[in-house]
Amino acid sequence: MLKLIGAVLVLFAGTMYGFLKALSFARRPRQIRQLIQALQRLETEMVYGFTPLPEALRSAAAAMAEPLSAMFLEAAEKLSGDTGKTVRECWREAVESHWGRTAMSANERDIVIQLGFTLGVTDREDQVKHLRLAASLLQAEEETAWDEQRRYEKMWKSLGILAAAFIVILMY
Amino acid sequence: MDTILPMLPTDLRRIVESVPAPFRQAAEEIRIRERRPLEMIANGEYRFVTPDGGLVRTPEPAYRPSRDDCAKLLDMLTDHSLYTFEEQLKRGYITVAGGHRVGLAGKTVVENGRVKLIRDISGFNIRIAKQVVGIGRNVVPAIWDESSGTVHHTLVVSPPQRGKTTLIRDLARLLSSGGWDGGPNVSAGLKVGIVDERSEIAACVKGVPTFDVGPRTDVLDGCPKAEGMMMLIRSMSPDVVVVDEIGRPEDAEAVREALHAGVRVIATAHGRNIDDVGRRPAMRELLAEPIFDRFVVLAGGRAGTRCEVYDSRGRPVGVPTTVRDNGRAIC
Repeated sequence: MLKLIGAVLVLFAGTMYGFLKALSFARRPRQIRQLIQALQRLETEMVYGFTPLPEALRSAAAAMAEPLSAMFLEAAEKLSGDTGKTVRECWREAVESHWGRTAMSANERDIVIQLGFTLGVTDREDQVKHLRLAASLLQAEEETAWDEQRRYEKMWKSLGILAAAFIVILMY
Repeated sequence: MDTILPMLPTDLRRIVESVPAPFRQAAEEIRIRERRPLEMIANGEYRFVTPDGGLVRTPEPAYRPSRDDCAKLLDMLTDHSLYTFEEQLKRGYITVAGGHRVGLAGKTVVENGRVKLIRDISGFNIRIAKQVVGIGRNVVPAIWDESSGTVHHTLVVSPPQRGKTTLIRDLARLLSSGGWDGGPNVSAGLKVGIVDERSEIAACVKGVPTFDVGPRTDVLDGCPKAEGMMMLIRSMSPDVVVVDEIGRPEDAEAVREALHAGVRVIATAHGRNIDDVGRRPAMRELLAEPIFDRFVVLAGGRAGTRCEVYDSRGRPVGVPTTVRDNGRAIC
């Protein structure tokens, strides 16, 4: 009886682990897409609307889903706060504290942090260049992310169940 | 002064905060130059500032702002958004929240013979804007046109740093609120339009003035003067238009336009006296016509500034009033 309960638990845990892994493969490209759209929105706000950075970040955050919106909002809060910190520092802190909740990898994080070095500190022409550069780098990551999703999402779903089933078989 | 502190990076803020209060509160300028002594000017006198906020006359013990200080300062002064100040950067200054003008010096980038932008900014001159309520009270009767119930076309002439902008800000406030002398002849305020190209007169934050410029005043913030005057006349039907620092040919054209539209203009120009202003080509025509009926000249040294009013033939109107005594603005 005890063995049976254990088997069910193992099966359940394995399946869930597989689904979770699969889910993160599905979320990654979608979040990258969101991030690219957010950067485009930021570009519009900054370059055509002359919106100051904190406000531009807020309005970009409003169009995004969690956890990315929280990241942008935190950066905006830090910037408008009385902290005496530069954009680079505020941006990095916001990215680092929220990145764990996203499904994106270290590659995307490096691109985003790199963007923080130039955000707000140069003229409009230059801002456009850097925002577009970041967007195109992210686009490349997005493609590999889609590719990986196609390849690994189904695999992880079945792998979870199969691995669990294997353990159960070994148990008996 | 209190509005400028949050814009300074932590190190500089600490130093400026520890400057003795009387000097700090009277400060007119804070001059920050990379790797050169930190300087503050108050009551017409300059002092260097040591790292612990002491005031000295010699540059040696003074605090020398680092490159990092300057980079942070620029970042914070521009609200982390240098790109929104591009137009102003070309002219060498930016106006920050609170109406303070920050002059900038550094390496200029030139394109087709014109300054495109300033980079490697290493010199900042923060000019602290102060509203002196009532400074124009004695000037209004002298520029008032009794017969038409409004003011004469008025040109305020003064060298830099004598309080031109402070004066016209207060004139706008007085004319807009009416009842400036408590007399029965002026009971109603006028509709006043301010074209605030450099955001200095009204110090608008998101389009709303932070200085008191009167209850019936409309402000066109950040707009080129010539275009802005025409826009205001067409859209806001002002009785009086207030502009700062006219001098280009198109400004003269706009003033002439305003004249024909039945709108009175209060403008300022740089110069020691009226003749000085008349030497500038664009202004020469305006003065020759003559369009301005009143000239307000801020004369005298930095310590004591007198405000003299002349009519179009150069005859004094009213009694000169002291607007600044011992370096301090008085009403």
